[in-house]
Amino acid sequence: MKQWQKWTAAAVVVLAVAGGSRAAGWWGTSPADDKSTLNYGLATDIQTLDMSKATDQYSDTILGNTEANLLRTNAKGDVVPDLAKSYSVSSDGLTYTVKLRSGLKWSDGSALTAKDFVYSWQRIVDPKTASQYSYLTSGVKNADDIVAGKKPVSDLGVKADGDTLTFTLERPMPQFKYLLSFAQFTPQKESFVKEKGSKYGTTAATQIYSGAYKFEGWNGTNSKFKMVKNDNYWDAKNVKTKTINWQVIKNPETAIKLYKQGKLDRAAITNSPEMYSANKNNKDAVTTAVASSTYLEYNQAKNPYLQNEKIRQALNLATNRKDLASQATGGSRDAAKSLVSNNLVKASNGQDLSTYVAPGYTYDKDKAKQLFAEGIKEVNKGKMNVTLETDADSPIAKNTADYLKQAYESTFGDQISVTEKIVPFKQRIQDGANGDFDILVMNWNGDYPDGSTFYDMFKATDTGMNDGQFKNQTYIDAVTKAESTDANNPSARDADWKAAEKALMDSANINPLYSWKGGFLQRSNVKGVVTNPAGLPLDLTRAYRK
Amino acid sequence: MAKYILKRVLFLLVTLWIVVTATFFLMQILPGTPYNNPHLSASAIAQLDQTYGLDKPVMVQYFDYLVNLLHGDMGTSFQYQNQSVTMLIGQRLPVSAQLGLQALVVGILLGLWFGAVSAKNQNNKVDGFLGIISTLGISVPSFILAIVLLYVFGYNLGWLPVSGWGDSFSETILPTLALAVGPAATTTRFVRSEMIDVLHSDYIQLARAKGLNGTQLIRKHAYRNSMIPILTLIGPMVANLLTGSTLVENIFSIPGIGQQFVSSIPTKDYPVIMGTTIVYAAMLMVCILITDILTAIVDPRVRLK
Repeated sequence: MKQWQKWTAAAVVVLAVAGGSRAAGWWGTSPADDKSTLNYGLATDIQTLDMSKATDQYSDTILGNTEANLLRTNAKGDVVPDLAKSYSVSSDGLTYTVKLRSGLKWSDGSALTAKDFVYSWQRIVDPKTASQYSYLTSGVKNADDIVAGKKPVSDLGVKADGDTLTFTLERPMPQFKYLLSFAQFTPQKESFVKEKGSKYGTTAATQIYSGAYKFEGWNGTNSKFKMVKNDNYWDAKNVKTKTINWQVIKNPETAIKLYKQGKLDRAAITNSPEMYSANKNNKDAVTTAVASSTYLEYNQAKNPYLQNEKIRQALNLATNRKDLASQATGGSRDAAKSLVSNNLVKASNGQDLSTYVAPGYTYDKDKAKQLFAEGIKEVNKGKMNVTLETDADSPIAKNTADYLKQAYESTFGDQISVTEKIVPFKQRIQDGANGDFDILVMNWNGDYPDGSTFYDMFKATDTGMNDGQFKNQTYIDAVTKAESTDANNPSARDADWKAAEKALMDSANINPLYSWKGGFLQRSNVKGVVTNPAGLPLDLTRAYRK
Repeated sequence: MAKYILKRVLFLLVTLWIVVTATFFLMQILPGTPYNNPHLSASAIAQLDQTYGLDKPVMVQYFDYLVNLLHGDMGTSFQYQNQSVTMLIGQRLPVSAQLGLQALVVGILLGLWFGAVSAKNQNNKVDGFLGIISTLGISVPSFILAIVLLYVFGYNLGWLPVSGWGDSFSETILPTLALAVGPAATTTRFVRSEMIDVLHSDYIQLARAKGLNGTQLIRKHAYRNSMIPILTLIGPMVANLLTGSTLVENIFSIPGIGQQFVSSIPTKDYPVIMGTTIVYAAMLMVCILITDILTAIVDPRVRLK
């Protein structure tokens, strides 16, 4: 062997040995057949374990499985007591009284008390925390003023007395019970938060856990970590899984491969229409409800064509939602029936809310043509040149714009010219907020499983979400009624939502396109997995391998 | 020499200041807010802006940033709530650096070897074969190669893990190879042409005439002189590899700085964009400085003035 070849060989050996300290699992871990272990993937790095600050669904997934709140959503979508023993709501809907279970403990064995809840609520509304979810507390007594820095956090309408927590609201909020199940409002131990300071929640070791599992092995950047059963959880005897292994897998194709090799128990298949088509008929494919809708916003403040109701009606009637969902999204989304997303929550009559409120959006090419011609005449400015703006963040968004451009131009012929404008996500948000658009493809993800998370968007022109800047008085009246006089009457409230949807359709203020859903390959022998359309996306508290 | 280095360091600091200033003002053009949650109302955004000081005039923000920077405080990330930029970069840079270093060592060793073999076998079959390989190596982007390696060794053969970092050495092999091929190919081409030049020079002819054989000739006489241009090549190569490859990091789910940097731009994570740019610029300049100094040491014909 020549001298420099020897050196090369030696260097390669040194390199291998240098890495040897990390060679514990040389060939990776083998797929777990063992019943006490589950294996899951995350599509991005964890951003934080600080529940007051978390904003992404992946951090939320880790927090929601390792921290417990007063209530938890079960497989049927009902909120049931978790750390709470019981809760009651006053008849005016303004006071929630919650009794804690006795003997609750943190994962470190210290006592978990009602004060830890009060601290967590005070921390999220504290302007110094700068939480991006503090607005969810709006409606709790003094929350808005505290967030705005006008009152001290101690004025918040959340008080502890022994093992009883009292929440005082300024107005009835039927969705409030869901907040009591969210990861953002799980308890936090003041002494622990203060002790860890700026390191709080930045690694698995700088957080303590109140949930069914403890989190271990995350140093802030590594990509494999695990949840281990928390013996201090009040219901530990019913937690059947000892370990849940997690790994970050950013490439969705890789996740599917690992699933097929048996190394993961779940993999998402809705990343692109092609991926969905290729996997939707797999025997392990399941769909889950997601509280997201995609709709078109028409700029009714600035665009003279879109101010014309007949033109808006024509655009809505020329939209074949079924065809759009199957062509542009490959079936990875379902045609929209209404503004509210499918399978968000059940209406009081037992129907899915989106079915109950559906005002009857239809596809009618001939009527669309007729209305469009009339509208163009009324506007009297000649051919309609219009931009259709969407963000470039997913292949589905581009397909949607292509589909609509083609549909409108073929329906209305030389009376319309649609220009696609594909921009980064933040640009789309900014253009929407500034009203710099004609037609905007908008996605909305509801914060909680209640109609108001959708209907609040258009109840005024300054909600921050009404980019089209329309004012529909019939709609406003219906939503106002639902949130005041009918707030404590579920069936009347649902009827108000229905009236609001009808008002939206009658004036064609928006154009609902499709409703989102989750598509996954999911191991059929893993039972007890709960998925929620809003809130915690994947709850493994009761999950086990059969 | 000392005067030269001092002068270069001063230039480096001025350049850094220019980079900081340019980045800071260019960043203002980015659309939207740095907040992740698109549900925030205008008043909520105003409240958050006030907390983070983003409601102040741009010039005030700029001077605040400079003052904090001089105190070693690069601010707190918006995207990774709670984490200081120093900590974020401190955790991710070593990951990218380790990967880059592994790739560099493998790449340069392979390059030196192949280059020398090529030069020795000039214009025969071995040279031709290595020529094709190195041309391919230069033209095929690392992320394409990464996907091919992933597919062959990860999926089909199942020999190596397909994603992850920090849990076993085997995870680093595929990304290292993917990143090493580029530098290896470039080095091969450079070493080959340099060594052919050197092998035709008078002093080598003399050495040959004195009866030195091939291997000794290359090792003792040709290598050192053909290293000079390689050194100038290695400087930027080091900076390039240490600062991470966004795409390769993404393909193998490696929590490196490259990916962090790219994702901070569309999310408008000001402090991270600033911090990473500063670190990148500093590393590139330091690498070039070191290269210049080393070149002077290796080649006395270069005079430092």
